[in-house]
Amino acid sequence: MSEADPIIRLDGVTKRFGSKVAVSDVSFDVGRGRCLGWLGPNGSGKTTLIRCMLGLARVTSGTIQVRGHAIPAEAGSALERVGGIVEEPRFYPYLTGRGNLEVWAGLVGDGARERIAPALERVGLAADGERRVKQYSMGMRQRLGVARSLLGDPELLILDEPSNGLDPSGMADFRAMIRSFVEEDGRTVFISSHLLGEVEKIADDIAIVHEGRLVLHGTVDELVAAGRQGIRLRVDDAERAVSILQGLRFVTRVERRGDGELGVTLERHDDAAAIAVTRALVVAGVGVAELARERATLEERFLQITGRSAADEPR
Amino acid sequence: MIRPTLRTITGRRGSFRGGGLVILAGVFLVIVVLLVVNELRPVRNPSIGGQPMLDGVGGVVWALGIVIGILVGALAGSYDVAQGTMRYLVLTGVGRVRLYAARTIALVAAIGLLLLPALAIGIVAVLVLPSDPNDEVTVGELADVVWTAVVWPLVFALIAMGIGSVLRSNGAAIAISLLFAFAASPILTLIGAWKETLGDLMLLPALDRLTGGESSVAIPLASLAVVVWVAGPLLLGLGRHLRDEY
Repeated sequence: MSEADPIIRLDGVTKRFGSKVAVSDVSFDVGRGRCLGWLGPNGSGKTTLIRCMLGLARVTSGTIQVRGHAIPAEAGSALERVGGIVEEPRFYPYLTGRGNLEVWAGLVGDGARERIAPALERVGLAADGERRVKQYSMGMRQRLGVARSLLGDPELLILDEPSNGLDPSGMADFRAMIRSFVEEDGRTVFISSHLLGEVEKIADDIAIVHEGRLVLHGTVDELVAAGRQGIRLRVDDAERAVSILQGLRFVTRVERRGDGELGVTLERHDDAAAIAVTRALVVAGVGVAELARERATLEERFLQITGRSAADEPR
Repeated sequence: MIRPTLRTITGRRGSFRGGGLVILAGVFLVIVVLLVVNELRPVRNPSIGGQPMLDGVGGVVWALGIVIGILVGALAGSYDVAQGTMRYLVLTGVGRVRLYAARTIALVAAIGLLLLPALAIGIVAVLVLPSDPNDEVTVGELADVVWTAVVWPLVFALIAMGIGSVLRSNGAAIAISLLFAFAASPILTLIGAWKETLGDLMLLPALDRLTGGESSVAIPLASLAVVVWVAGPLLLGLGRHLRDEY
């Protein structure tokens, strides 16, 4: 298969558990050398699709190709250079971190044993390799899970909620590590996470699944750009500013946020619009203390697309 | 592939290492008891080594080996699914049949390793410690006892692995395997009271025949019966392993 071919190809994938449809007619491709964020509310079918992609569960209908090989028929060839974490990394707690990797290296073969030390180094566990896994924190297990994923020198890493249990500084390191897999190694990363802010910083592309259906797939920039565009203003006379702004043709919504602050949603998001807003206010004698562009965060877009309240959503 | 799988079995402190120590302790206990009775009543108990030691060591390794073999076998079958490591084994791309075959072979090796230290020390004790000439042991007798002490634990360990693979829960696998060995098998043996030949093909009589017991059934037929008793649960476990989603 050529470099231009997608590393994952999903075509009409459906997975049912009895009468419950966990994944419904999902089709999309994942390009090589990209990081795709796989998002969805709890119970939306994220992990189920990952399990199907990794040959751990069978699809009810549709086809999955990984690295040009059909899953599950050619799972052996497909998974040769695929690493993954599904739900949470599990190990033999009575073996050391290195001992666990040696077990998996023995199964993976093909130079995997020589990759143990670099993998531990890369995830920051070189000094803890001789400790038993039962003494590891959740964050350390996550990192060991990534190290295990690297043993087969994977072209594709499929990571399901890999940042669970990481502290804020660990999160930043983890983010840098994931990006290095893509940018330095040229690997493809398929990452599922509840931490939308983190995914926004890591991913090139986003796919959102809701109630088992793929509701959006595109680049992060496209996704966010399609959301609310606006500016935030702080003025000395909010009431007057609102009436002036509501008279402007390209302003679609004005929201009072208190303490002289306004949120203004615009039809277009360019310099000319911002200048026109400022000019209209100043000409009308309204003092503008602050003006800043605002755009929807991934979280806002996610909530908008999945149509759920923030209270229901993971952070 | 077998070596790393063996490591996951032998690395378990509770079942494998602890079990191995219990069997070793049993052998040392036999040695101590024979030393003491010899010391207390030397005329009545003239031998420490030789036949009395062989009987004691063989019996202790056989009995404890079955129990510990069941623990080790049941966990070999259930642990990876219960612990959640099975999905990562499947994720290596190694076929499920190969994974299961590797686990089966590794279990055979593990049972050998489990019993080896106790048997080795026991054999040394049999041969080295003083014994009456009447209690001397032949190589054939020694081989018979070793064969019995290895085959019974191995058979029950393999059956327990099959049960563990079907049940996928450590506690349930151990409990059902112990029940099978110490309740169901003896009850099944009672079939012999109804029909002798069929009764001889039940697990315990067939195993007994294979390890020196008297029976009207030929050894090849008894061997076949034991193979069927072992293969049944193992194949059921393999079927579940192939079918399951992880």
